Amino acid sequence: MMEILSSKTWIEWLLIIAKFAFAFIPVLFILLLIPMERRGAGFIQDRQGPNRSYFWLPYFGKIRLFGWVQNVCDGLKLFVKEIYAPSGVNKVLFALAPAIPFMIVLLSPCVIPYFATLNFTFGDSFVSVPGAMVDSDVGILLLFGLSSLSAFGAVLAGWASKSKFSFLGALRTTAMSISYEVCLGLSLMGILLLAGTFNIEGIINWQEAHVWGFVAQPVAFFCFLIAMIAETGRAPFDVAEGDPELVAGFHTEYGAMQFGMFYMGEYGHIAINSILVSCLFFGGYSIPFMTTGDVQANLGYVLAALCGIGAFLALGFLHMLYRYTRWYKTSAASNKETIFREYALYKICGWIAVPVLITLAVLSVLFIHPEYTLINGMKVFGLGTALGTAFVQFLVLMVKTVFFCWVWIWVRWTLPRFRYDHVMHLGWKVILNIALLNLVVTAIIAKLVLGGN
Amino acid sequence: MVRVIKHKPMNWLERLYIFEAFRGLYTTFKHFLRGFFRYETLPTVPYPEIKPEIPRNYRAKHRLMLRPDGTPRCVACFMCATACPADCIFIEAGESEDGRIEKRAERFDIDHSVCIFCGLCVEACPVDALRMDTCETSYVHRSREDFIVSMYDLTNWDPKQYPQNDTQSQMAPGGSKNKQALEAWGMKVI
Repeated sequence: MMEILSSKTWIEWLLIIAKFAFAFIPVLFILLLIPMERRGAGFIQDRQGPNRSYFWLPYFGKIRLFGWVQNVCDGLKLFVKEIYAPSGVNKVLFALAPAIPFMIVLLSPCVIPYFATLNFTFGDSFVSVPGAMVDSDVGILLLFGLSSLSAFGAVLAGWASKSKFSFLGALRTTAMSISYEVCLGLSLMGILLLAGTFNIEGIINWQEAHVWGFVAQPVAFFCFLIAMIAETGRAPFDVAEGDPELVAGFHTEYGAMQFGMFYMGEYGHIAINSILVSCLFFGGYSIPFMTTGDVQANLGYVLAALCGIGAFLALGFLHMLYRYTRWYKTSAASNKETIFREYALYKICGWIAVPVLITLAVLSVLFIHPEYTLINGMKVFGLGTALGTAFVQFLVLMVKTVFFCWVWIWVRWTLPRFRYDHVMHLGWKVILNIALLNLVVTAIIAKLVLGGN
Repeated sequence: MVRVIKHKPMNWLERLYIFEAFRGLYTTFKHFLRGFFRYETLPTVPYPEIKPEIPRNYRAKHRLMLRPDGTPRCVACFMCATACPADCIFIEAGESEDGRIEKRAERFDIDHSVCIFCGLCVEACPVDALRMDTCETSYVHRSREDFIVSMYDLTNWDPKQYPQNDTQSQMAPGGSKNKQALEAWGMKVI
C-alpha cells in the first residue's frame, strides 16, 4: 500500500484526484444546453423563446439572465413533483431504468482528455499526469462500450412500463442503437488507422502533429456526425420517441424527476458526443497551428490573446445591450423601468469585465515568461505553466464542444424527421457503405503514401 | 378555375438531399442570427408590456354610439339581437323621452363570454348605433357575470381615442365636432 502511495509525489496524487471533477463536465453542459436549445429554437422559428422567469435582487429587481433562469425553474418543478408509477408496472425495473442513462453520462467521459498530459518539474522530480481520468489504451472503445449501455435504460423503461407505446419506443431505440453503433465504429476506423491508436490523447497528438481529423477524413467526419446525432435519438432521428406515433416513446409512463433523468441523460449524451467529435475530428484541446510545447513556451502571449478575446466578447455584449436599450427606450413598453434596472446589472458586469480582462492581458504579457529545463531533450516547464496550459486547452476544447452542441440543436430545428424505414435505410444502406468504402480507401492510401505496416 | 401547379422534378443533386440539408441549415441559421443580433425585429412582442397594434377594422369589443346630446343612438329595433347567431345581445325597449324618436333601449347587455365576434350585429344596425372598433381584445374577468357588459360600459368611451375622420364618434359629447352637431341636433321639430 505504502509502495503505491510513495510511487508518486503528493502533487501527482492531488491532480489525479482533482481530475475526477471532470466527470461532471457533461452534466454541467446540461445547464448550458437546455437554455441554448430553447432559445435557439425560438430564434430559429422567429420567436423569442422562454425569457420571463426571474429571480429577484435588491435594487436591480427582476434578473432574468436572458432566459437562463427558466432552466432552474424547470428543474425545480421536476424535482418537487410527485414521483408516480402506474399500477401494473415492474416496480424495481421501473425505478431503476432512469438511473442508467444518467449514470452512463457520469461514467463514459472518463477516457476523454480535457488537456494534454501535464509534464512538469516539481522540485527535483519530473512529474507526468495524463489528461484523461482513465488513461487507457482501449480509450475510445471503452467510451463506446459504456455509452451504448445507455440503450439499456430505454429498454428497461419500455419493458417495465407495461405500455405498448413504451414498448414500441424501446424496440425502436434498440434497433437504432445497434444500427448506428456499427456506423459509428466503422466511420471512426479511418482516423484510428491513421493515428494508430485507440487512446484519444494519442489521436489528438496525431492531429496536432499532422492535420485535424476533418481535413484528413472529411467523409468519415460526416458519417460520424450523422451517426452520432442518430445515436442520441434526437430529431431528425427521433423515431424512438416520435410524438406523432408513440406518445413519448420509452418514457411515456414517466413523470417528475424520473422523466428528468431521461431528459438529462439525453442532453448529457449530446455533450459527451460533442466533446468526442471535437476530440476526434477537430483537434480536441489543441489550438490550431500550435502544439502543446508552443503554448507552454509562449504561455504569456496565449493568455493575453485569450483575455483579449474575452474583452472583445464583453465589448460586443455591451454593444448589444446598449443597442437594445436604445431601441427599448423608443418602444411603447410599459416596463421600461424594470428592464433598465435589470440591464444596469449586466452593464456593470460588462464594464467590470472589460478593464479587468485587458489588465490581465497586459500583466500576462509582461510577467509570464516560463522557464524550462531540458529533460531527455524535451523542454519541461514548472507546475504553474503546466496548469496554465491545461486551463487554456480546456477552454479551447469547451469552445469546440459548445459549437458542436449548437450543431445538434441547429440540425434538430432544421431537418424534418425521418420515417422509421428511412432511418434504417440511411443507416444500413448508405452510411455503413460509405464508411466501409472510406475505410478501404484510407487503408490503401495509408499503406501507399505513409508506408505503414 | 383550376390551376394545376406542376412540381419540378428534383435533379440528381437535389435528390441526394445532403446539399438541400445544408441549404436548410443556412436558412435556419439566418433566422437564428436575426433573433440573436436583431432581437427587436422579431415579429413576436412581449405581450403585456408591449401591446400589438390592432387595426380599426378589427372586430374587437363592442361600443354603443352616442347622439350629440349623449343618449345612445340605439332605437331598440332588435335587428342586432335577431341577427346575432350566438344570442348574446339582450335588449329591453322603452319609450323615448325625445318626441322625434319612438323607442330607446332601457337595457342593452352583451354577453362577451357567448359572443363569437362575427360582426353581424354591426352590419344589421340600421342607425349605426353599434360598432366593434374599440381595439380592445383582452377579456379577463373573475366570474362569468362580469363578462356581461351593460349599457353603461358600452357607452363609456372617449371620442378623443378615435380618429378625426370618424365623424360619428366625434359628434358625441367630448368630440371635436360635438358643438356643431349639437346645434343641428337641438333644432326644434314641430
